[in-house]
Amino acid sequence: MSHGTQEEPAPTGDLTLGQHVGSGEVPRYQGGSRTPGWDDAVDLTKDPAVIPDPATVHVPEELRAEIEAHMAKYPDERSAAIPALMAAQRRHVWCSPEAIEQVACVMRLTPGYLVAVASFYDMLETSPVGRHRVYVCTNISCSLRGADALLERVVEEVGDDPDFNVRSFECLGACDIAPMASVDDVYVGPVELDDVPALIGQVRSGAEVLPEKQILRRKSVDPNAGSTS
Amino acid sequence: MPRPERKLITFSIDGREVEAPANMMLVDAAKFGDVEIPVFCYEPKLGAPVGACRMCLVDIEGIPKLQTGCSTPVKDGMVVHTQTRRVKDAQQSVVEFLLINHPLDCPVCDKGGECPLQDVSFGWGGGMTRFVEPKRHFKKPLELSPLIAIDRERCILCYRCVRFSQELSEDYQLVLHERSAATFVGTFDGHPYVAPFSGNILELCPVGALTSMPYRFRARPWDIENAGSVCTLCPAQCNVAFTVRDDRVLRVLARENEEVDDGWLCDKGRFAYQSIHAEERVVAPMVREDGVLREVTWERALEAAKAALGGAQGRIAGLAGGETTNEEGFLLQRLVRDVHGSPHVDSGAGLDRSGLLALGDPGLQATVADLEFAHTVLVLGTEPVDDAPILDLRLRKGVRRNRVKLAVATSRPSSLDPNATLAVRYAPGAEAAFVTALSAAFYGGAVDEPAQAAGADAGAVHELATLLRTSGGDQPGDVVVLYGQRVLAEGEAVTAPLLKLAGALGLSGRPGAGLLGVPTATNGRGLREAGVLPDAGPGLTAVPSAGHGATGIAEATAAGELSVLYLLHTDPLRDEPQRAVWERALEAATHVIAHAGFLTETIREHATVVFPAESYAEKEGTLVHPDGRLQRLRPAIGRPAGVRAAWQVLDELARSAGAEHGVHTVHSATQQLFAAVAFYAGLSVDAIGAKGVRWWEDDARAAAWPQESGLRAAISDLVAKTPLSRTPDYEEAPTPSGLGAADGATNGALRLGTYQSIWAAAEVEASPALKFLHPHQRVELSPADAARLGIEHGEHVTVGSAGATVEAVAHLRNESPAGSAFLQSGIPEDAANVLQGPLVEIRKATPK
Amino acid sequence: MSSAILFKDIDEPGLGTLAVYQRRGGYGDVLRKGLSMPREALVNELVESGLRGRGGAGFSMGKKASFMPKGGMDKYLVCNADESEPGTFKDRELMTKSPHMLIEGMILAAYAAGATKSFIYIRGEYAQQADILDAAVAEAYADGLLGENILGFDFSLELVVHRGAGAYICGEETGLLDSLEGKRGNPRLKPPFPANQGLYQGPTLINNVETLMTIPHILGMGAAKYAEIGVENSTGTKLISVSGHVKRPGNYEIELGMSAREIIYGLCGGIEGDHEVKLWFPGGSSSPVLTSDDLDLGYDFDSLAKAGSMLGSGAIIVVDDQTSVVEVCLKLAKFYRHESCGKCTPCREGTQWTVKMLERMKSGTATPMDLDIMASVQEQITGHCLCVLGDAMAMPVGSMIAKFRPEFEEYIEAARERAERELVASLDAGLVGSAT
Repeated sequence: MSHGTQEEPAPTGDLTLGQHVGSGEVPRYQGGSRTPGWDDAVDLTKDPAVIPDPATVHVPEELRAEIEAHMAKYPDERSAAIPALMAAQRRHVWCSPEAIEQVACVMRLTPGYLVAVASFYDMLETSPVGRHRVYVCTNISCSLRGADALLERVVEEVGDDPDFNVRSFECLGACDIAPMASVDDVYVGPVELDDVPALIGQVRSGAEVLPEKQILRRKSVDPNAGSTS
Repeated sequence: MPRPERKLITFSIDGREVEAPANMMLVDAAKFGDVEIPVFCYEPKLGAPVGACRMCLVDIEGIPKLQTGCSTPVKDGMVVHTQTRRVKDAQQSVVEFLLINHPLDCPVCDKGGECPLQDVSFGWGGGMTRFVEPKRHFKKPLELSPLIAIDRERCILCYRCVRFSQELSEDYQLVLHERSAATFVGTFDGHPYVAPFSGNILELCPVGALTSMPYRFRARPWDIENAGSVCTLCPAQCNVAFTVRDDRVLRVLARENEEVDDGWLCDKGRFAYQSIHAEERVVAPMVREDGVLREVTWERALEAAKAALGGAQGRIAGLAGGETTNEEGFLLQRLVRDVHGSPHVDSGAGLDRSGLLALGDPGLQATVADLEFAHTVLVLGTEPVDDAPILDLRLRKGVRRNRVKLAVATSRPSSLDPNATLAVRYAPGAEAAFVTALSAAFYGGAVDEPAQAAGADAGAVHELATLLRTSGGDQPGDVVVLYGQRVLAEGEAVTAPLLKLAGALGLSGRPGAGLLGVPTATNGRGLREAGVLPDAGPGLTAVPSAGHGATGIAEATAAGELSVLYLLHTDPLRDEPQRAVWERALEAATHVIAHAGFLTETIREHATVVFPAESYAEKEGTLVHPDGRLQRLRPAIGRPAGVRAAWQVLDELARSAGAEHGVHTVHSATQQLFAAVAFYAGLSVDAIGAKGVRWWEDDARAAAWPQESGLRAAISDLVAKTPLSRTPDYEEAPTPSGLGAADGATNGALRLGTYQSIWAAAEVEASPALKFLHPHQRVELSPADAARLGIEHGEHVTVGSAGATVEAVAHLRNESPAGSAFLQSGIPEDAANVLQGPLVEIRKATPK
Repeated sequence: MSSAILFKDIDEPGLGTLAVYQRRGGYGDVLRKGLSMPREALVNELVESGLRGRGGAGFSMGKKASFMPKGGMDKYLVCNADESEPGTFKDRELMTKSPHMLIEGMILAAYAAGATKSFIYIRGEYAQQADILDAAVAEAYADGLLGENILGFDFSLELVVHRGAGAYICGEETGLLDSLEGKRGNPRLKPPFPANQGLYQGPTLINNVETLMTIPHILGMGAAKYAEIGVENSTGTKLISVSGHVKRPGNYEIELGMSAREIIYGLCGGIEGDHEVKLWFPGGSSSPVLTSDDLDLGYDFDSLAKAGSMLGSGAIIVVDDQTSVVEVCLKLAKFYRHESCGKCTPCREGTQWTVKMLERMKSGTATPMDLDIMASVQEQITGHCLCVLGDAMAMPVGSMIAKFRPEFEEYIEAARERAERELVASLDAGLVGSAT
């Protein structure tokens, strides 16, 4: 179990996308932060980040419609913050300042409020990442069954492909198929080291990933579990 | 919401029986037994406790786990221990945890000596650490804004600063990023934390993580003393403590007064102290010779002033600005009126005596605290964050904590709109028509016509009336109307319907409800009551013949009817709404005598005699808060050599003209003022004390409010407790002068609205730390108007009317009402008062 | 033992569709019976069934529902589907295969609680399950099973599937509420408890997926009959997720009280490679560890509590004797450090300090004295935090130190020796420093 989930801070405060993809680790700056915030002063040439005025911020129409649909579902519109950020992330790949400003504009919140929310959650990316998400679970149950080697293997296979966002992830709730990974939201496992080239190849080609190992096709192991018809 | 009542209970703490108010949080209740429970995150001013720091763990009998004293309400019979081994271990644990990454760089930390973390570590910590890992280190200090430095190593993540930003000022700019031990305080994408109240986080921070840039390394706690006084930079008159070292003001802290400021300050109040020691401050008398202002001796300056006044044969006028104290105003009106026999004295009250008497009636007054506990507050024609900033926080608090219903009726979109139950717009300058329409909605009068004249939606007016009428359930609850002085611009046309509205809402004599007017001038209310009015003397007594008001003075001077202008702490070219007539007046005046701290335009170009003015940290005297609270200004530092108190100068000028009033100290002036104003009877500076006295709360003083024959009757008729069913005469009487709402009538031009930013002040300009906030002219436009005019956001434009123009940057606001354009007043260049209005045209600026 | 209740038809093809679910008896007589009972009677049924929360805390479901105040205010039901306790994956299988059972359970729970608005807070990682739920909810709305006047009864319920975005702490009920309100998922101070002031300040009932899905079955068979299953204070069946070094990891529905040995060696076929059990977490990674000595314990709330641990979410993680306890401990501590919300001091600072000490043990720069400090730090965390996350690390870590101290000490010594050897070797090779 040599891999940490969030350790090995980068040696300098200057972290690049390449290192991110290459290590497979959640990128950490010195001090353990995921974003280069700790050591940064503000930019005094910028204006304060107030609620963006719709008169001056362009929001793509589909994104606005999606966010407004989410807002309509809740007694308090603010509840839509996470779904709205997810929607913006799908469009922008990560929660870029532009993406956050667009959400802020529609939801009538400050971008600060939203970045506080976005940076709290592991699935919302506050620094640039690749489009394809490969979350390798490296929590206890998976690592007991070889998850750390799997992560290394995936990282190696992906290489410096900027389209990938390979991360070790905390327990994904699929220890029955350990070691496992969530590949663009599709759970697959147990993933053998030999499966990795096929898996990454399938992601690259847009094919279904490891169809036989997808969790949705798995039957219960409980001998008493029934399918009585 | 009515104020909660508190009853006393008895509980036991560390073996002692202690009485405390029921449901008070334990950490506060413990103080009744002289027990201190240490805290970091607990700060009741920030709302409900969060229980984050865990410093206040205590042992309560009957509860197995230790409880946070900050979030446990005390109950009758509760038995609490704070000295047991278990509690001490927990406290030491928390201190040890908090210090594992804290750099302990106290010797180079500004907070050292006044640092809660130091105090708590010393008092409750274990005195040692077992943490041998490397501490984390970061670059420091970093700028969070030009005013605030952040040192993230020192931060203990107590949440106070972010709670302030999110739950008090509600600017939501300062937030926590990330989570776990990686959490840090910051802003979005490197934007600076710039907001009107940002400086409060400096006082809230319990460690040295947030420090003041201007105060950085200026002093240690043992080098300084704090002097209590009042901030005179706006009508909110917050109570402050000046941090003084070697007779220099180095910092301003809030001096909590629940009835005034709730312990908060705006950044203008907090940082504009720098103007006191600014290089450009006038610290010697000056006289204009051959067209040039030159420094002279006091004797020469006084001679010049005496000669000017003496030679004017009564053709003089006095004008007092907002920072003028009651005493200075009192002496000025006596000099002009009694000594020189001229009736022309004003402080820009903008309303005649009968109007002031009606609106100022003691029975109709609301207080600042009422804003927080009323059922409904109507914000009418004022933007609190600009006009009296601290009230903005109070209104937000009321809405957030006490579920006060907020209604906003303004011409310009308000920063309070998102908090409001209802926001109604009317056309700039159409206050009278709007208030007429609103009043009519209560009395069954015609609403549509005045609403249309006001450019307001009649349906919205009815909705507003319903909100006000039903705030207390079936009937009007406690309603406070917070109105700005600009609402009163049309005199009786607006006071009459406003009083009728007060009558309909039953505001008269009702505690917790009433009117609260925000004057333009800091001490506007005090100056009125001191008699700095063209048609009333001290105590609003009638005068034999009324003089000109401010604009009348300008016209009369321009016409050559007046020759000497005496300007006390005012710059008419900046402060008065009609610049053009003042330019003519100042050109025409033979002498302009001014008390001024800075050579602003009027002084620089037109003053013939300049007396250097005291800064507010040097002044002694009294002020009156907009809600009638007399407050004391106390000198924190000595005057610079070369500066004399204005009261001395005014008395000297009176004496030299043969009037001996016996003003030997400022206190004797205060006594004379209190003697002259019937409703101040029995007051003294001692009675005012540190926190002030609201004079009308004393029945005898309230009864001394002038009762002219017929006036009181008129008021009681208007302010009848039960709404009249008939349509009163007032509805038909003065025709409101609101502009037609139809766009066609304006032929493509836009209605001009103005506002004065919180940052539009000479003191801000003279404070280096606030330089970045100087407002530059911008014109706020609706996207529709901008599209029609082909103007884009950020574009340079020329705004013109009747031949006058100002340059501005176009600023598109989605909420801006179509048909109106808003410009800033009170700024040194391109101010809105250059334009006459009411309509303006906007064009793209021709490239230079 | 044919104890399947929740798992009875679980692999029925198409069970996720409304048609099949209804054909299996779903949304039928049981739902009608529930909605025609007085609310109090329904709550009583739940109390009498003895059903305890299946999420981790094990609080009586019926009692929790009975705490909901009467009155006309907006009340809420929230289903906690943020299954993120390491080792736990039962709710995932339930939601994947039988989403309508959850909806039916929620209708009944909402009716009992007087709630008219309900939410399923599902962890964002479960995107596939959220899609399945979305489809099922849409079907239920279309069939009049959600929305106004359900089945013609005077009861209406709205249901929204809300996806989280990856934070363990949102499984804590108040952290979940903040997250559902669109904030950072920081736990709140309690009191006030959610039943009084929960979502949007309104009274809120929060229950785990499995708990809610059990309700229709309790109503179907009757509370008394349900209470007969299992043992005292641990009635009914429980889904357990078994993972780690067992031959057949997966979810099993057992009658509470079955022994751990039966589960691990019977149902799961024993340990991979036929090694021995070194330690096992009986209720997710937050439960204090037990050893091979504890395998004959009955798997129920009381027996595990008596043994100093807890049933928690019902997730058994088995670690064999080939694995270093220190490595497990470090993995665990890093998880909690990463997932601490950062709000309260002991958790935020204690988790990172613990990780740093364990890393030093690993790198060979620790001494056995650090073990005492580490144990003491766990004590300083326990019982001092705002929510249970701090304890969730401190208790298992503390139990590992207590139960495997000699192994920790050996590990520390071995790491020191290794580090020294490496240093000497590098000195010999002239890689470090220079001879003076």
